[in-house]
Amino acid sequence: MHLDLNELSQLAPIFRELFKGYHVSRRDPELYAQLSNFQDQYRTLFKALGFELVCDTRGFYYFVPDLAAAAVNKTAQRLALFTFILVEHLADQGRDPVAVLDGGSLGRDELPSLLEKYRDLFIQAEVQTVEELEEKIMRRMTQLGFAGEENGIYRFLPPMHRFLDVCLSVQQDRDLAASLHSVLPLPVPVLIDDDSDEKLLETDDPLDLSDFEEAESEEAAMTRAIAEEQETDA
Amino acid sequence: MIEPKRVLRALAEHWALLEPLCEHFDQGTLSLNELRSQLAAQQLDSTPQDITSLLDVWIRLDILVPVAKSPNRFELNAQIHDFLAYLRREHRLGLCLEIEAYLRHLERLAGYIQDAFDIRDGHDLARQLRLLDMRVRDVLKKLDNDEQALVAVAERAKTSDRQIPLRQRYAEVLATWDEYVEPMIDLVNADGAFEQGVRKVETVLLKMLSEQQRLGHLVDDDMLLRTHARILEMQTSAQLTLRHARELLLPLREEARRHNAVTRGAALALSAIRRKGIDAVPQAAMPMFTRPQSTFLGSASQVEAYVYALARFEPKPARFPKAHKTQKGEAPRAPRTVREMLERCEDALPMPDLMTWLLEQEPDGATDELLYWFSRLSREKRFKRERLERRDYHTHEHQVSLRSFALLSAGDTAAEDSASTPNAS
Repeated sequence: MHLDLNELSQLAPIFRELFKGYHVSRRDPELYAQLSNFQDQYRTLFKALGFELVCDTRGFYYFVPDLAAAAVNKTAQRLALFTFILVEHLADQGRDPVAVLDGGSLGRDELPSLLEKYRDLFIQAEVQTVEELEEKIMRRMTQLGFAGEENGIYRFLPPMHRFLDVCLSVQQDRDLAASLHSVLPLPVPVLIDDDSDEKLLETDDPLDLSDFEEAESEEAAMTRAIAEEQETDA
Repeated sequence: MIEPKRVLRALAEHWALLEPLCEHFDQGTLSLNELRSQLAAQQLDSTPQDITSLLDVWIRLDILVPVAKSPNRFELNAQIHDFLAYLRREHRLGLCLEIEAYLRHLERLAGYIQDAFDIRDGHDLARQLRLLDMRVRDVLKKLDNDEQALVAVAERAKTSDRQIPLRQRYAEVLATWDEYVEPMIDLVNADGAFEQGVRKVETVLLKMLSEQQRLGHLVDDDMLLRTHARILEMQTSAQLTLRHARELLLPLREEARRHNAVTRGAALALSAIRRKGIDAVPQAAMPMFTRPQSTFLGSASQVEAYVYALARFEPKPARFPKAHKTQKGEAPRAPRTVREMLERCEDALPMPDLMTWLLEQEPDGATDELLYWFSRLSREKRFKRERLERRDYHTHEHQVSLRSFALLSAGDTAAEDSASTPNAS
């Protein structure tokens, strides 16, 4: 493919954002327009440089890490946990979770009650206070292009579909559902059999007295002592 | 019999009052008092007598009829209600079963037509053909009505408040799909009742056309051709209605299903996380790109030396002072703190050469420690620094070549701020 770098006028800012893990959506009109107009060129260029650009038809672009090198991403886990919580919270309230997460909004004032209700789960994301919730989750969401914040209202952006897809894939995970509903007892720890027990007791310790113990049991020692005493008495 | 002209005139005259009432009647019946208050609210200058006489007219013309067993409650006459609904384009979705019943009737009519033709009864044949034609029109009317009603169902789902419960929002769409669209798909299928009925009628009509050529005309060919054309129109119309219904409702139905799946997935994930922790949900660790960590850059020989040093690492023996022995010689000096060094440095300002000053302060200091202090002090914000020419400095163990700084107090405006970093080698 022929690449004309003059066409890719937003290459530097696009790369800078994507490299930070940011998801480019219509919220950044200039970058988004460039990416959608020269999608193939950008993808080819980034591919040649070793970066995988994903073009999601729902209206956003992002880099994915090399699967072989990808470690468990704590931020992703945290944000996914937050999404699960929010979906359940909204559904409990009778609100439409998908409508909120797909372009809808959430008031900052709703965060304290959310934290209170799901405190046990937020602890797993190392979030215990509203400040931590804002810092570790909401700010990360805005930094990565999943949401935008304005006047105390968080508006969710199209990249949130990635987390909605996570919900769908969990729903389709039969193993997970089965593990939750199984009534099987907990696995019993395996006991070492008698033969191997002996080997485990073997030792190179010079002070090891086990041989002597085996040679003369307590009963035998008592018998011997009585016999010796009788001999001296005699 | 009620005179049609009078009914139509009353509807035309009172349309402004009737139209708002239609909406109430769409929801259910109205008591006499409710009716009176509704009308009074619309006609502010009317007296109670005016309203009574107006209601009398409507009741006499059968526009309003009392509800069975509740003489004080009223509803619109069903025929009038349908007519007004048609005018207001307020369509109620019919039942698929109604269409099926019409089609069965069409099949029967085709049989009667065949019988009439066989016995050469021209009069009965014409009557049956007319009945068939009217029945086909009924089906067309119903299909048109249903299509409008389906559009309204989809619009209601799309425009309803997005904050209302999901189940409620999509209830109508899901019910419509199950009760109308799905049976319609079966009906319009290649082997469904619709196709069978149409084919049967079509066969009879076409056979009759050719037979008439042979045996002589009992009815006008045009009439047969017109009926045939209308049958085909009905078939096309049913297919179009069905396609339209699918296009309108399928995305909404999928959306509703997706909503359920998302909510269920989230609940499942939370339940697993509660029991086994976040790692129990592998999907949560979605691959997300993170800026690669800065890595150590070194030549192959440096890496080799580093690994070699690691392999041969031996800790220095720690010497603890013995309580019964008196300290001989100089007591070991406590390490310098940053605060202490900064204060000493500040006292020595203005300083013509930081490195020289450090060497004077710590003549026996280790080179790495001296370079640390050089870097730390030269970056301190409370000092202004000025870069000097490169020269060699001799520490206790090494010879160091670097461009040192002259330090001045930050308040001293004469100094030029330089942001460059020390360049040691």
